Amino acid sequence: MIKIGEEQVPWHEGMTVSGLLAQREDGHMYAVVRLNGKLISRPKFDTTPIPDNSEVILIPMVAGG
Amino acid sequence: MVEIGGQEMPELDAKEIKTFEYVRPEIDKGYANQTLRVDLSKPEISVEPVSDKMKEVFIGGKGFGLWLLWNCANEKTRWNDPENAVCIASGPLGGTPTFPGSGKSIVTAISPTTGIPIDSNVGGYFGPYLKFSGFDALAVVGKGSGDTVILIDGIDQKVQIFDMPGLPEDSYGLSAALTDFFAHGKEQGISVVSTGPGAKHTLIGCLNFTWYDPKRKRVRYKQAGRGGIGTVFADKGIRAIVARWDGVTLDSNRPADKETLKAVSKAYSKEIRDLDPKQNEMSRVGTTHLVPIMNDFDLLPTHNFRYGSHPGANNIGREVYQHIFDPGFDGCWKGCTVACSHGVRDFVPVTGPYKGQKVFVDGPEYETIAGCGSNIGVFDPFTILEMNFYCDAYGLDTISVGTSIAFVMECFEMGLINKTHTGGLDLGFGNRLSALELLHQMARGEGFGAIVGQGVRRMKEMFEKEYGADPEIMKDIGMESKGLEFSEYMTKESLAQQGGYGLALKGPQHDEAWLIFLDMVHNYMPTFEQKAEALHWFPMFRTWFGLCGLCKLPWNDIVPEDNKDTPEPAKVMKHVQWYAEYFSAVTGRKVSPDDLITMSEAVYNFQRIFNLRMGQGRREHDTIPYRAMGPVTVDEYESREERYDSQLREKYGVDPSGKSTEEKIAILRKYREQEYESLKDAVYERRGWTKDGIPTVQTAKRLGIDFPEVLEVLKKHGVVS
Repeated sequence: MIKIGEEQVPWHEGMTVSGLLAQREDGHMYAVVRLNGKLISRPKFDTTPIPDNSEVILIPMVAGG
Repeated sequence: MVEIGGQEMPELDAKEIKTFEYVRPEIDKGYANQTLRVDLSKPEISVEPVSDKMKEVFIGGKGFGLWLLWNCANEKTRWNDPENAVCIASGPLGGTPTFPGSGKSIVTAISPTTGIPIDSNVGGYFGPYLKFSGFDALAVVGKGSGDTVILIDGIDQKVQIFDMPGLPEDSYGLSAALTDFFAHGKEQGISVVSTGPGAKHTLIGCLNFTWYDPKRKRVRYKQAGRGGIGTVFADKGIRAIVARWDGVTLDSNRPADKETLKAVSKAYSKEIRDLDPKQNEMSRVGTTHLVPIMNDFDLLPTHNFRYGSHPGANNIGREVYQHIFDPGFDGCWKGCTVACSHGVRDFVPVTGPYKGQKVFVDGPEYETIAGCGSNIGVFDPFTILEMNFYCDAYGLDTISVGTSIAFVMECFEMGLINKTHTGGLDLGFGNRLSALELLHQMARGEGFGAIVGQGVRRMKEMFEKEYGADPEIMKDIGMESKGLEFSEYMTKESLAQQGGYGLALKGPQHDEAWLIFLDMVHNYMPTFEQKAEALHWFPMFRTWFGLCGLCKLPWNDIVPEDNKDTPEPAKVMKHVQWYAEYFSAVTGRKVSPDDLITMSEAVYNFQRIFNLRMGQGRREHDTIPYRAMGPVTVDEYESREERYDSQLREKYGVDPSGKSTEEKIAILRKYREQEYESLKDAVYERRGWTKDGIPTVQTAKRLGIDFPEVLEVLKKHGVVS
């Protein structure tokens, strides 16, 4: 299992950030996530694997400036 | 000698030049209802009333500053004329201790680099202390002795001008010494505005605004950085302005509706406390989280905005600074739960006057990391700390310093300048010792550093005239607009952000419009009309923070969990609604979110007309260098060839095959420049401006800024309807 906030999500072999977000209705809203404390941005979603027992925080928007 | 916060304080002597005693008014619904004017030449100190009309149209903060500046200056005023004013104001909401981000001061003056009004929004306690001492705004005109210190003492109800020779030269020592001198044992009651020798010897000086950090027992500061405000301050012969006040509560602003204020403050503070740890963690890492994100999206300026990413960026972002920052819940105003003002304890510089000594560095923030790091090819977090420390101590703007050094480094690598011009310095990208040496030279007003400290626009002119450098290439790579150096975001792939910079009133600073993510990453505004709408709404709402004495970070750097489900997530309307309630609760003026935009529109258009009065404020002044729109050099194009080739093919219907890189650059450039001009048309129309970028009389009337002198300026420039 992985944890997204309070939510538990089943983990599977080969899971990536892209794959995780594709399962979610609002997945397109996120340009950045924090995976086990490390920031991952959209250009790296496809190539970033999610290990089992990970904690993922979806960062809704990056406002900057 | 006594020691404060690890620094030895000199014995000081203050010779009184002028004392003005006054009766402090009660603050009423966020306003003191009077402003303070200090004329250093006469010397004279006076108080002027704030009218209801002034509050209705200009609101406070930047609005009051611009109005005072308008009345001090005329169309011929130059930055170093006595009538140019350094204006400082908080705003009606400024000084509220429980609502996040409510301690800001806004500084305005005619800028030495742009010749038009500049405004800078800064933390620290000065603005609120000024207001609680009895003044909504301060305007300082004239020229002092060079050793002038102004004290605004709200406790003893007097304003004094002193001559204080022998003060420490740099802002780091100066602000600590003056805090010690005026505190009478209550350091938290003092806020000092000062600058350093870099401001005196360059055109890109900043101001440092302090607060006292009781946990660390030391003075901290934030910077009003942009446009050379510190240079104007130094030119006036002012060493410092000190505010003295004691005790801030929710009642200090005497809000119209305290219960609503308490409720909305509590809700907002709680939301930030709950959500910041799940989002950007600004209370732990400040704005350093932006470095890796910008790098991943090819938006982190490297090598003078040539590229948007670099493998070394991993060394200069959140992952590193979270371990270097001195842990603590560090806000630049009382009770702010964003608490993003981090710093580094016991840093030991390896160059300059503090070489080998332990110092405290306030920062770095994202802009400093990008400006004094990646953009000059430096990927060493400690060099960035040293640049940060000396920029602040010398009173230099880290953004203009970074962008100016990046420009000369590229000129050096292109062979436009060489060691005979740089005094023997090797200015290749990444040469950190040369970058630091330039900084020390700026502070001393010596060598090539003194030239770099004139800013990019003047360097372009000088390099052409005196060194025979090619003006066309410098026009393309010199990252300034209106005379102000670009702040640190790549805009090549975001037309909206090109407008965000090029159409910004004071020059390319991101605080007016930061649309890169909304435009490029989220694609919320695919059409010209949508971009124009965004370039109306966002600059207006961001302007509003500066009118009220607020920080914009709480608005959209922490967003509600259900924000994504709202019709316009980019605007974070739940927070906008809270801001409307906040304004209504303090001032008693019932407003809706739409009213906040209209308030800002009035001041925004007034500032545009102010630019026009100063000989700018037209379409031609909204020009940006081509580097901000697309690739200038062959290696720039070829480094992202797939992207650009695909755009030529898919967006513009041009087959790139068989074409040289130079040909492809020229074709892409033609399209991108056309798009930027079309964007200007759309934005001007949306804002109610002429095709030449001037507000119409109708717009001025709608916004209540149709004062006779405003209409006179419009008429002089051919706008009569």
